[in-house]
Amino acid sequence: MTPTPEELYAQREQRFNDVVALKKPDRVPIMPLYVHNFPTLIKGISNKDAGYDHETRWQSTKEATLRFGWNFAPTNDVLASDFFAAYGNKQMMWAGEEGGLADDAPFQWVEDEYVKADELAEFVADPNGFTFNKILPRMGSRLEGLGQIPLPPLYWFSNSYYLQVLGNMLGIPPLKAALQAMLDIAEAQENTNAANGKYLQEMKDLGYPPTWGAALMPAFDVVSDTFRSLRGSTLDMYRQPDTLLQAIDVMQDATIGLLHAAYAVTGIPRQFIPMHKGAGGFMSDEQFARFYWPTFKALIEASVDAGITPMPLFEGDYTPRLEFLAELPPGKVAAHFDRIDRKKFKEVCGDVLCFWGNVPSSLLVTGTPQQVKDDVKELVDLFGDTGLILDGPGGIPDQAKPENVEALVEAVEEFGVL
Amino acid sequence: MSKELSDAIVGMDEDGAMRLVRSMLDAGADPAEVLEEAKAAMTVLGDKFEREEVFIPELIMGGEIMKGIAAELKPRIKGEAAVADRGTIVLGTVAGDIHDIGKDVVVLMLDVNGYDVHDLGIDVPIEQFVAAIKELKPQVVGLSGLLTLAFDSMKATIAGIADAGLRDQVKIMIGGSPVDEQVCTYTGADGWGRDAAAALRLAAEWTGSAS
Repeated sequence: MTPTPEELYAQREQRFNDVVALKKPDRVPIMPLYVHNFPTLIKGISNKDAGYDHETRWQSTKEATLRFGWNFAPTNDVLASDFFAAYGNKQMMWAGEEGGLADDAPFQWVEDEYVKADELAEFVADPNGFTFNKILPRMGSRLEGLGQIPLPPLYWFSNSYYLQVLGNMLGIPPLKAALQAMLDIAEAQENTNAANGKYLQEMKDLGYPPTWGAALMPAFDVVSDTFRSLRGSTLDMYRQPDTLLQAIDVMQDATIGLLHAAYAVTGIPRQFIPMHKGAGGFMSDEQFARFYWPTFKALIEASVDAGITPMPLFEGDYTPRLEFLAELPPGKVAAHFDRIDRKKFKEVCGDVLCFWGNVPSSLLVTGTPQQVKDDVKELVDLFGDTGLILDGPGGIPDQAKPENVEALVEAVEEFGVL
Repeated sequence: MSKELSDAIVGMDEDGAMRLVRSMLDAGADPAEVLEEAKAAMTVLGDKFEREEVFIPELIMGGEIMKGIAAELKPRIKGEAAVADRGTIVLGTVAGDIHDIGKDVVVLMLDVNGYDVHDLGIDVPIEQFVAAIKELKPQVVGLSGLLTLAFDSMKATIAGIADAGLRDQVKIMIGGSPVDEQVCTYTGADGWGRDAAAALRLAAEWTGSAS
């Protein structure tokens, strides 16, 4: 008897949950942690068009999910270009932006010191005011007006007389422009949400659970990637370590708040945690233990406590950090790996974490289907019985050859049905 | 060389290093020699990085300490500064990719290790690499990238260098997190690496200059 979509949905979710719980599933699932432009590029759609045309992007993601036998409906993590344009995003570059990237380039972060060294303490002392007056105007060219008004206590406006003050403040032209930008942000978000909502509903009707609800960066990465840059946060480690730690603590509060807020909105009990600066080589174990690990571990624990499966992407090489990873709650974390020594991982973390990802980009992009199958065979032999999910090093690479992505399915048929 | 100055730099003691430089100058030391000593400490850091005793933060912080020392010393150095003599290297992040963290660390380490490094920046078009090779006649060209899109950009850049008749004049290294032997073969590069230590090894080998 053909299973109903509801049954398929439950079956797929169970398969994933079994893997995370380190139980042997019925078959090894293939799950891109996310996709960017792979689904649209294989249809000949430029990255520029994909960034603005949400309907096409999500529908292409649906087609790819069905074609390549993915277990969940992946999140298409291409951030909407009209959303960027709405506020003149200066932290990203994207195809289609005036003076931006070529049409075939994916969106990319522009790391910079958006918060200067001597401002970090200012952020810690007044995170709200500093974000409103300094960070937002630096993040978007259309938000610059927000830097020009004082942020008064809201009780300034607590009766009809005083509200005139607010009217006058809102009338300042740069602020009016920033408010218009805010409305444009809302509209752009509504557009992409509509296409995303349609996709998720269609996928649900076909029996596919969504992969994750929201992306949350560990507090250190927020401070390093988007406030201070690698150089800045490095200098802070040496020149003002206590202030750096205080800023990390402030961001940790925000991250935990966002964890709960995002779950309340999406209802999806899985959250993606992209990780950047904690990888091997980026700092010593001592620095990792002091600046990165405590807030990251607390985020994982808060997530598990809230009934949300955390999906950290250990980007870079985490082999040197395996002893830390072994401290995570066993059977609760969907751990995704970019580069790692597989055998050492099995030895140190095999009874704590499942193994997701790690099929190299080089194979998926420049290799042959046979090479991909050989790699999957190695993974299944190592982890098939103790929790394995197939994926590239961080989702399916944009430039992957379709026949190599199909080879993942063939490999599961050959030796991944357990 | 002054062990104290080297220890201060390698030990990330920024204030101590600056104090030592000033006291050496006060005692009549030749500023050019002090600068060379400070640079030598950076190669010690490079060796420690290779042995995984220090990591990217120490290279960045070491570079920062060097910057402070150089600013103090350069105005006092008469005549031409010592010219980097281990070889010329042209380096950049390939077209379509704007990631620069890895490239910048490689540039820093090559520079302090005595190479004449020309950083072409990010999203560098093929023609710019070709023009730089014609003009600067480097022994080594470095192509950096983080995106999988960079695999094809690297391949096209190397083909462009060959089309310009320059392939035999340079050794080409590729670098970045997703790069491996397979990508090296795919692009037609001569060598690959994932960090600054690998770049230093290749550069030393190809320029025939022991470190």
